[in-house]
Amino acid sequence: MNFTVIERNFPLFLEGLRVTVELSLLAIVLALLWGLVIVFARTSKFAAFRILARSYLEIVRNTPVLVQMYFIYFGSGIAGYPISGYAAGLLALTLQNGGYFSEIYRAGIESVGPGQREAGRALGMLPHQVSGIVVLPQALRRVIPPISNQGVIIIKDTSLVSALSVAELTYQSKILADRTAATYEIFITLALFYILITTVFSGALRLLESRVRVVQ
Amino acid sequence: MFDTLAANAHLLVSGAQMTLFLSAASAVLATAAGVLLALIQLYGGLFGRALAEIFLYVMRGVPLLVMLFSIYYVLPYVGLDIPPLAGGILVVGLYFSAFMAEVFRGAILGVQRGQWDAARALGMHGHRLMLIAIVPQAVRLAGPPYVNTCIMLVKGTSLVSIIGIWELTLAGRQIVERTLSAFEIFGGVAFLYFVICFALSCYGRHLERRLRYAQS
Repeated sequence: MNFTVIERNFPLFLEGLRVTVELSLLAIVLALLWGLVIVFARTSKFAAFRILARSYLEIVRNTPVLVQMYFIYFGSGIAGYPISGYAAGLLALTLQNGGYFSEIYRAGIESVGPGQREAGRALGMLPHQVSGIVVLPQALRRVIPPISNQGVIIIKDTSLVSALSVAELTYQSKILADRTAATYEIFITLALFYILITTVFSGALRLLESRVRVVQ
Repeated sequence: MFDTLAANAHLLVSGAQMTLFLSAASAVLATAAGVLLALIQLYGGLFGRALAEIFLYVMRGVPLLVMLFSIYYVLPYVGLDIPPLAGGILVVGLYFSAFMAEVFRGAILGVQRGQWDAARALGMHGHRLMLIAIVPQAVRLAGPPYVNTCIMLVKGTSLVSIIGIWELTLAGRQIVERTLSAFEIFGGVAFLYFVICFALSCYGRHLERRLRYAQS
């Protein structure tokens, strides 16, 4: 074991870390928002929206995100509107995980029992008050743990954009491993970086969860 | 309009066969390792539990792609020479065993307290209690999440294309490099993944309906 290679190339790792963290946060925030759009469509009054949302969900859930990235990246280039690997990766991650988030939201809303709605109505609340005051706050608490799990999956999936030559953590390490022979040290460091990011992220969400939890 | 796709369909189909083989082999490994991990977590000694927790923590925190790169780069330096295909199956299987462990642990814990008490009241204990009373119910509970994890695993096998194992995704990339028909070919690749995963998710929904019927 010889970690001088890591020491000497530490700025490279930090630059990769910056790109990975930035891409992860962007993808998580955009997917959370896109998931809202889909869950509205999914529970819409209009059958056309519901069918569209269902079909969309089935497609993104049943195809690999890597193939979606290739489709967007190579497809956009050949169609004459080339977009960067970063943008293609971000788009694919948002599209796929927006679908997963919408299912998480739906499960969270459904987990609030019908008795809660009835109780709200019985207290004389209007339908939008029942949703806003009774159902959503309870649903919000229940969706934080699954959102945290999915967020960790997004962080790990950002490593796939290295296949589109985006200079994030995995790509930088791979280049370094090709150039030097210190493969052990490089991949151990890389793994530790990912463990660090995912631990910080899930720790932050656990903190958030403990802030909004009430005694049941 | 779909000339390129038609001309290369046979390649994609053999790629899909390879993906099916990879998925089946790593699913067997993931299931076996997952059951073992869940049992250690629930009934193991202190040392075993600590080891299992460390393994799970690493598997949950490090991206699959990074682990695939690790064996690809590191093993030759150690002098271990396993064929790439076997290495890919090993890594994918072990990575998803962490998710499988969660599924099985949840299923065993999901069997209601009363069932354990009832079995003990009938004089069962040890492996008879587990095999006759608990396992059949746990298997039923594990069904739907197990199928979901299998879908994730099938999609996860697409990553082995990045380390050069020939399967559906790599077949698609090679054809696109030759013909430049990105939309057609990656559309075809996505369609084949969709067929495999959609069949699985229909089966999962079927299991879910049966479970709900059995519980009501």
